[in-house]
Amino acid sequence: MGEFKVHRVRFFNYVPSGIRCVAYNNQSNRLAVSRTDGTVEVYNLSANYFQEKFFPGHESRATEALCWAEGQRLFSAGLNGEIMEYDLQALNIKYAVDAFGGPIWSMAASPSGSQLLVGCEDGSVKLFQITPDKIQFERNFDRQKSRILSLSWHPSGTHIAAGSIDYISVFDVKSGSAVHKMIVDRQYMGVSKRKCIVWGVAFLSDGTVISVDSAGKVQFWDSATGTLVNSHLIANADVQSIAVAEQEDSFVVGTAEGTVFHFQLVPVTSNSSEKQWVRTKPFQHHTHDVRTVAHSPTALISGGTDTHLVIRPLMEKVEVKNYDAALRKITFPHRRLISCSKKRQLLLFQFAHHLELWRLGSTVATGKNGDTLPLSKNADHLLHLKTKGPENIICSCISPCGSWIAYSTVSRFFLYRLNYEHDNISLKRVSKMPPFLRSALQILFSEDSTKLFVASNQGALHIVQLSGGSFKHLHAFQPQSGTVEAMCLLAVSSDGNWLAASGTSAGVHVYNVKQLKLHCTVPAYNFPVTAMAIAPNTNNLVIAHSDQQVFEYSIPDKQYTDWSRTVQKQGFHHLWLQRDTPITHISFHPKRPMHILLHDAYMFCIIDKSLPLPNDRTLLYNPFPPTNESDVVRRRTAHAFKISKIYKPLLFMDLLDERTLVAVERPLDDIIAQLPPPIKKKKFGT
Amino acid sequence: MVQLRPRASRAPSSAEAMVDEGQPASEEEEAEHGLLLGQPSSGAAAEPLEEDEEGDDEFDDEAPEELTFASAQAEAREEERRVRETVTADKTLLKEKRKRREELFIEQKKRKLLPDTILEKLTTASQTNVKKSPGKVKEVNLQKKNEDREKGNDSKKVKVQKVQSVSQNKSYLAVRLKDQDLRDSRQQAAQAFIHNSLYGPGTNRTTVSKFLSLANKRLPVKKAAVQFLNNAWGIQKKQNAKRFKRRWMVRKMKTKK
Repeated sequence: MGEFKVHRVRFFNYVPSGIRCVAYNNQSNRLAVSRTDGTVEVYNLSANYFQEKFFPGHESRATEALCWAEGQRLFSAGLNGEIMEYDLQALNIKYAVDAFGGPIWSMAASPSGSQLLVGCEDGSVKLFQITPDKIQFERNFDRQKSRILSLSWHPSGTHIAAGSIDYISVFDVKSGSAVHKMIVDRQYMGVSKRKCIVWGVAFLSDGTVISVDSAGKVQFWDSATGTLVNSHLIANADVQSIAVAEQEDSFVVGTAEGTVFHFQLVPVTSNSSEKQWVRTKPFQHHTHDVRTVAHSPTALISGGTDTHLVIRPLMEKVEVKNYDAALRKITFPHRRLISCSKKRQLLLFQFAHHLELWRLGSTVATGKNGDTLPLSKNADHLLHLKTKGPENIICSCISPCGSWIAYSTVSRFFLYRLNYEHDNISLKRVSKMPPFLRSALQILFSEDSTKLFVASNQGALHIVQLSGGSFKHLHAFQPQSGTVEAMCLLAVSSDGNWLAASGTSAGVHVYNVKQLKLHCTVPAYNFPVTAMAIAPNTNNLVIAHSDQQVFEYSIPDKQYTDWSRTVQKQGFHHLWLQRDTPITHISFHPKRPMHILLHDAYMFCIIDKSLPLPNDRTLLYNPFPPTNESDVVRRRTAHAFKISKIYKPLLFMDLLDERTLVAVERPLDDIIAQLPPPIKKKKFGT
Repeated sequence: MVQLRPRASRAPSSAEAMVDEGQPASEEEEAEHGLLLGQPSSGAAAEPLEEDEEGDDEFDDEAPEELTFASAQAEAREEERRVRETVTADKTLLKEKRKRREELFIEQKKRKLLPDTILEKLTTASQTNVKKSPGKVKEVNLQKKNEDREKGNDSKKVKVQKVQSVSQNKSYLAVRLKDQDLRDSRQQAAQAFIHNSLYGPGTNRTTVSKFLSLANKRLPVKKAAVQFLNNAWGIQKKQNAKRFKRRWMVRKMKTKK
């Protein structure tokens, strides 16, 4: 494989934002997740829990509620008082309607999916009608004294439960008046000065209202009489979220201590018909508040302030007991936030509101395998570029020669020219960018840094020629058929002839850059593409999908390569297919055409196409071949997949030159150290 | 007989009081006075004491001055007239001042508002739009900041459509600033409520480092704490020390040379 000097980079201070709301859509098995900085991500749970689409955040947007309505429409409402609809095809925000009630705290879609209910700061509950292209205000319900923090529809759509501060009201939808007002105790069988905030309510079809509040109680109320039926004290801190399954035989609650409890409707004795709600399983997968939970038919989904998205399949609901029933924790981003300029050894880090440019350090010492070499020159923080405006940065890129930086937000596109004199760096902005370049999903520079490729969110692909300090728009490839995906990836060959773009579900399109026309299309695969790259001399396109399949397609021949066909016939090793995190970057060695270097969050692998492929019985991860065995045995156990798990968690790994690698790690402890304070826990013996 | 200290007569005191207004009058009086006192002095306020004393001396020897009723009456009338005049003059001055200030304010206000043409257009347009937008009256207030922010912001599309029908110039967006302030303050109040209920007083929160060290405490072999150094301790002291060191180095360099 060769010897490499590895730059271990840990100064990328990446802290993801906490998860605020989660909404599960049953028909398409998709999960919409909204974070505290306003980003909304859509995960496809059947495509190996891969993040398909995302909508970038905004500083003034503080989403408090997210819900799916009929026809795969996604709505969100927040503290800025507006209800927003997201266009999942065009990947932008369709419109925003002001509810005129102040900050919106909760939102619920009716069981039929045609009406939307919104609970506001001033205590009013507003009903909106969902029309094919917009939402229309219908009427107000009776106004309550304090803010409405949680809402829930009765499955028949006739009644509504609204949780507020210290009380829960039950409304009748037809008349809009409050039928019952149930006062919640401030403390479990006691008195307290702090107000009891009802964080979540759920309405069951038999008329039971389940409420969770800030005193740590889960209470069952009868909505016909307005009385308390049962009360469970489950935590010393707030219980912040509740989600009920569709069959109404189980529900899940999340607490501020990070514990998620599963309640099930269980018969009292084994052959009786009477059932009762019993707290069955506690799960402790979070360290901080669990602010949102969702219940899919087979799994419990939870997310909170500690930024992990945890999906726990329930063993009794899972049909086949294979690796699909394991716990999934999504912590690291599914797309690349780092770009690298190999010539000047620069790294560009993308944050939500700024970019950082660092120059790697250098060393003159040498050593053996496994040594840590001392730095003779430290890494340099060259540039801290803040974006103007409240919007988040969608994507960014630095050219391989290091003289151009480009990044895009929803409304603007920025291009900067860098000049290096000795050790100083000066920045100059290229003004007057054309309007069609904004809201780019992916930006890529060609190898010789003369061309810029921009994939916009409408599906169009633009080629811009860069020269000196100015640019010229060369060509725009129009969108092809198929639904647009946000994980639009671009790859360009090192000779600059071919450009591959995966933006639609119709497959990966390969364009001829010199002749400016479509060359061929790689056949569509039903899992989304997670990484793509074109090999330097052979012009083979290597594609990695979210189900961990890797394909190699020869662009000049317009067909899959022989090696790829062999791999597909034999199939990948089962441990390779059971990896949790998607492959986010693929690169190649300039002098060794048989090597493919790829990495995901917990391993990096060099695939040697000249060695035999492993079958399911061989050991996949064998870092040190046995030296005391004979040569024959060593040759038998060696296989094509050379995996190393030394550097993890990896955010980015690339080959700088023939003998150097750069690995950007982000230890989980460093992320946790910058999170908000958690609830104090008392442990025996401390 | 007790020698009463003679009181200062009316004539010299009145002359002092009216020294700034009625200069010729005082002079006239002084002239009259001078006849009695034998002191042709103008500007009696300059040396009142001496005059009094001298007047006192004079008065001790001579008889009190004799003034005819007519002259005294005339004097009194003159005084009153003068007083009235000053009062009216003051009043007119104040009135003028007030008038000028009012005009200034009206001008400033006018400068702030848009030209009448646009205002007219907007008021007529808003009347027609009243049915479409219940409960929201728009006043035009050109703000460059809003324009920049709203240009590319899709969430304000609704407002843009309403303004477009009014003016041909579609490059700006009219937003009522009062509503914006109200909305921001409400949003801040809402965020303060959430912060208070989750992290405020009464909640049982601890720092992340203490939380992570809890697991550490029960381990048989103790590890280092997650946040071993407290970088926020003694910041001021460290800054002072740095400054002192720099200055000391400079001084050392100077003395060395």
